Amino acid sequence: MERKIGETLLGVEHISLSFGGVKALTDISFNIREKEVFAIIGPNGAGKTSMLNVINGFYHPQQGEIHFKGLHRKQMRPHEAAVQGIARTFQNVALFKGMSTLNNIMAGRNLKMKTNLFWQALYYGPARTEEMINREYVEDIIDFLEIQSIRRTPVGKLPYGLQKRVELGRALAMAPELLLLDEPMAGMNIEEKQDMCRFIIDINEQYGTTIVLIEHDMGVVMDLSERLIVLDYGRKIAEGTPDEIRGNQVVIDAYLGVAHTN
Amino acid sequence: MTEKKAIDRKLDTIPKLLLDHARERGNRPANRLKNFGIWQSWTWSEVAEEVRDLACGLVKIGFQRGDKLAVIGDNRPRLYWSMVAAQALGGIPVPLYQNSVAEEMFHVLENSDAKFAIVQNQEQTDKLLEIKDRLPHLEFICYEEPRGMRDYNQEFIFYYKDIQQTGRAFQSINPDYFLTEVEKGDGSDISILLYTSGTTGEPKGVVLTSDNLIITARNSIDFDNLTSSEEVLAYLPMAWVGDNIFSLAQAYVIGFCVNCPENPETVMTDLKEIGPTYYFAPPAIYETVLTKVMIRMEDASKIKRSMFNYFMELAKTVGIRILDGKPVSFLEKFLYGVGKILVYGPLRNNMGLSRTRLAYTAGEAIGPEIFEFFRSLGINIKQLYGQTEASVFVCAQPDGQVKADTVGTAYPGVELRLADNNEVFYRSPGVFHSYYKNPESTADTKDPEGWVATGDAGFFDDEGHLKIIDRAKDVGRMTDGTLFAPKYIENKLKFFPFIKEAVTFGDEKAYASAVICIDIEAVGNWAERRNLAYSGYTDLSARDEVYDLLQECVESVNADLARDEKLSGSQIKRYMLLHKELDADDGELTRTRKVRRRIVAEKYAVLIAALDDPQQTHCEIDSQMTFEDGRTGTVHANLQIRESSTIKSHVQTLAA
Repeated sequence: MERKIGETLLGVEHISLSFGGVKALTDISFNIREKEVFAIIGPNGAGKTSMLNVINGFYHPQQGEIHFKGLHRKQMRPHEAAVQGIARTFQNVALFKGMSTLNNIMAGRNLKMKTNLFWQALYYGPARTEEMINREYVEDIIDFLEIQSIRRTPVGKLPYGLQKRVELGRALAMAPELLLLDEPMAGMNIEEKQDMCRFIIDINEQYGTTIVLIEHDMGVVMDLSERLIVLDYGRKIAEGTPDEIRGNQVVIDAYLGVAHTN
Repeated sequence: MTEKKAIDRKLDTIPKLLLDHARERGNRPANRLKNFGIWQSWTWSEVAEEVRDLACGLVKIGFQRGDKLAVIGDNRPRLYWSMVAAQALGGIPVPLYQNSVAEEMFHVLENSDAKFAIVQNQEQTDKLLEIKDRLPHLEFICYEEPRGMRDYNQEFIFYYKDIQQTGRAFQSINPDYFLTEVEKGDGSDISILLYTSGTTGEPKGVVLTSDNLIITARNSIDFDNLTSSEEVLAYLPMAWVGDNIFSLAQAYVIGFCVNCPENPETVMTDLKEIGPTYYFAPPAIYETVLTKVMIRMEDASKIKRSMFNYFMELAKTVGIRILDGKPVSFLEKFLYGVGKILVYGPLRNNMGLSRTRLAYTAGEAIGPEIFEFFRSLGINIKQLYGQTEASVFVCAQPDGQVKADTVGTAYPGVELRLADNNEVFYRSPGVFHSYYKNPESTADTKDPEGWVATGDAGFFDDEGHLKIIDRAKDVGRMTDGTLFAPKYIENKLKFFPFIKEAVTFGDEKAYASAVICIDIEAVGNWAERRNLAYSGYTDLSARDEVYDLLQECVESVNADLARDEKLSGSQIKRYMLLHKELDADDGELTRTRKVRRRIVAEKYAVLIAALDDPQQTHCEIDSQMTFEDGRTGTVHANLQIRESSTIKSHVQTLAA
C-alpha cells in the first residue's frame, strides 16, 4: 500500500490543563498529519501522558480546542473518541487478566458490533454472523502480531512483553485511524523492542494508521518517528524532525537538567 | 485392499504417486494447515492441481530438468508441494534448516548450485538477499507469505501464488506438458539432496534416489502396518531426512494426511487438536512432556495425586504386558480398564496422544523411565536407529519386542554386520547414492559392495537386538580388554534426575572411574525435604548424605552394566562429585551442552590421577571458574573419592 503523509488529522490548539493549582499542560499546540508517526517526548512528569489523555477525551482541558478529522470539540468522553477512531494502549498494561488473548482482542471489537446483549447471549442469527465476521478480523490481528500460540492463554499468565503485544492487538481491533501508544516498549528487552518496532512500522504501513507515540528510548523514537514534539514542565519546548530535535540546545538542557529560572 | 494395490503398481516417483492418489482417493484430505485459527485442508486432487500449477509456473520462469530448488521454511504444505513440483520437473529439491543463519545457508546453497529458492517468508528472503551476491547460481527467489514483502520489488523475487497464476496460464496452453514431464521420471532419478548437520566439518549433501525413499517407505509401511487413514503432524525440520520419510515419502506411498502446525510455538496445541495416530519425536520432547505431567501432578489435589500414583504403578506392570501381548489376569485387566477411564485416557488426551497407535523415538538414548511411562499408558513407543545415508531406517524394534536399551533388530531389507572394533555396518535398499560432489567422502563411507560405515559402535544382545553404545572412535579398551564406551555409561548415569553431568574414564585403565556433577535443583530439592541445610553447590556436593544418595545411583548403573557380558568389566569402581558444574563458559561443555571430554581430562588431570590411584581417598584442587559477568576466580576444594561396589558377573546378579 502506498503510504503518503496527508492533511492534518488531529489538531491541538492552545491546550491548557490543570488539576487544582497544578498546571499539567500550558498552551500547547501541534498538528498530527494523516499516516505519520508522531512522537511526544520529554523528561518524567513533563505531561506526555496527560497530553494523550486529553486527546482521547479522558481529561478535559480548561482551555483550548481539539479538532479531529475536521470536527472541533471542546469536551468529549473516551467512548466518543473511540467511536470516532482513536484507540490507545496504556503505560501500565490494562488488560482483562482473567480472559484469554482472543477474548481480550474480541473485546476491542465490541464497538463494531451492532447486535445487542440478548442476541449475543443466545448466539443465534445475526449475532452469530457478526461474531464470525469479527472473529475473522481478530484472527487477522493475531496472525499479524504473531501471537497464535497464546490465543487461548489467560492474559495474566503471559510475560510482560507479550501482554503489551496483546494490548496493541486490542487497540488494533477497533480499526483505529489514530493510535495512541503510551510507552509501548517500557520494560522490554532488546529483542522485544525490535519486535515492537517492527509491528509499529507495519501497522503504520500496512493499515495506514496514524500513530502517536510516547517513548523514553531515544533510539527508538528517533528511528520510528517522522516528527516529534518535546514537552518539559507542561510546555512545548520544541517541535520538528528527529534531526532537528537532536541538535536543539533547549531539548538537551531539558534532558540534562539545567536549572529553571522561572 | 486398495492400499496393497497402490503399492504393487509401478509408481516409482513421488509425483507419480501424487497423480495416482488424485485419481484413487481424490476427495480424501492430503494436507491440513492451521491458519487464522482454523484447520484448512487440501484433498489429494487439490494438491495435484497446486503442484501442477506451481511446476508449470516454474518452467515458465526457466526451471529445467536437473536444476536444484532450495526450500527453506517451517513445515508448510506449500513448501512440501514445492519439493514435489521440482521432482515432477526432474529437478532436485534441497531443503535447508530454517533456523540456520545466512552464512550456514551459504555453504549449502553454493555446494548444491541451487538455481531457485522457495522460501516461507520475509525472514528467509532477507537471509538469501544477504548472501545472494556470492551465489552466482541463485537466480530466483520465491516467497510463500506476502507479509512484509511490499517493498521487495527486485525482478528476481516472486510471490508463490503469482508463479502458480503464470503456471495456470501455461497449463491451459500446454495441457499435457505436466503429465509428460512426470512420466519422464524414473525410480533411479535423484529425488532429493539432504545436507547432514555436520558436527564434524562442513555439511555434506546426501543424494537419495526415488527408489531409496519409496522402497524404504514401502518396507516401513509393511513393517508397522500403516494405512491411508493415519494422521501425522509434520513439525520436525524439513531438511531432516526423517521428515522426508514420515511426512512425504510414507504419506505419498500410502496416502495418509499430513498436518502442518500453525507455527512452531503452537505445536503442542495443534498436536492435541489433530491427535496423530502415528508420531515421531526425539527423546527430549517425550522427556519434556513427562516432566510437565509430573510437575502438574505435584500441584494437584491429594486425592487426584494418590489416584494418579496408584494407577501409574499398576500401569507399569499391567500396561506394558498388555501392549506386548503378554497374558494378564482378569482382575488386572479390569483395574487397568478403570485406570483408563480415570487416568490414562484423560492423560493421553492432554498430551495429544489419545489416538496414537505408534510412536517412534530416535537420535539419542531415551531414559528407561520415560520409555516405560509412555508404554504403560498404552502408547506403543518404539526406538529406531537410522541415518540420513540409510534413508532413515537401519534398525527398529518390532512390535512386542521392545526394550528400552536397544534399538531393535535389522529393518526389513537391511543387512547388518559388526567390524572388529564393534563399528556397525549396514547395507539396504535405502543406502544413499553418493555425497554430492564429494567422491572421496562417498568412498570413505560406502564400500563398492554397498556397505555403509555408521561410525557408531554397538553389539547384539542375546535376542539379536542391536545395542548402540557410543561413537566408534570414542570406544576404548580397558587393560583387561573389556570394551569401554564412555557415553553409554554416562547416559545411564544421567538418566538419574540427581545427576546433571558425568564424565567417565576407563580407556587403557585397570578400572573405570567417574567424575559426577550433581543436579543442583533435584538434589537441592531432595536436601530441602530432608531439612539438610547447605550454602551452595560446592557445599551440597561435598555432603556425605549426598554421596550416599549418589552411591545408590552409581551402584544401580553398575548392576545394569553387569547384565551385559561385554560391558560388565567397565563398572564404575571409584567416583567423585565435582565441586562445580561443568560449564560452557569454562570451555568444559559445548554450547549445545555436550561434554568436551579432552578438555575436562586436561583440566582435572589431578582428580583423574587421584581416581586412578586406589590409595587416595581425597584430592585437593584449585580450579578456575568464569562468573556470569566474565570475571574469573579460583575455587579451592578438597574432594572426597568414594568406592562403589561392583558386581562380578551375570550369574551372580541373578542369584542376588
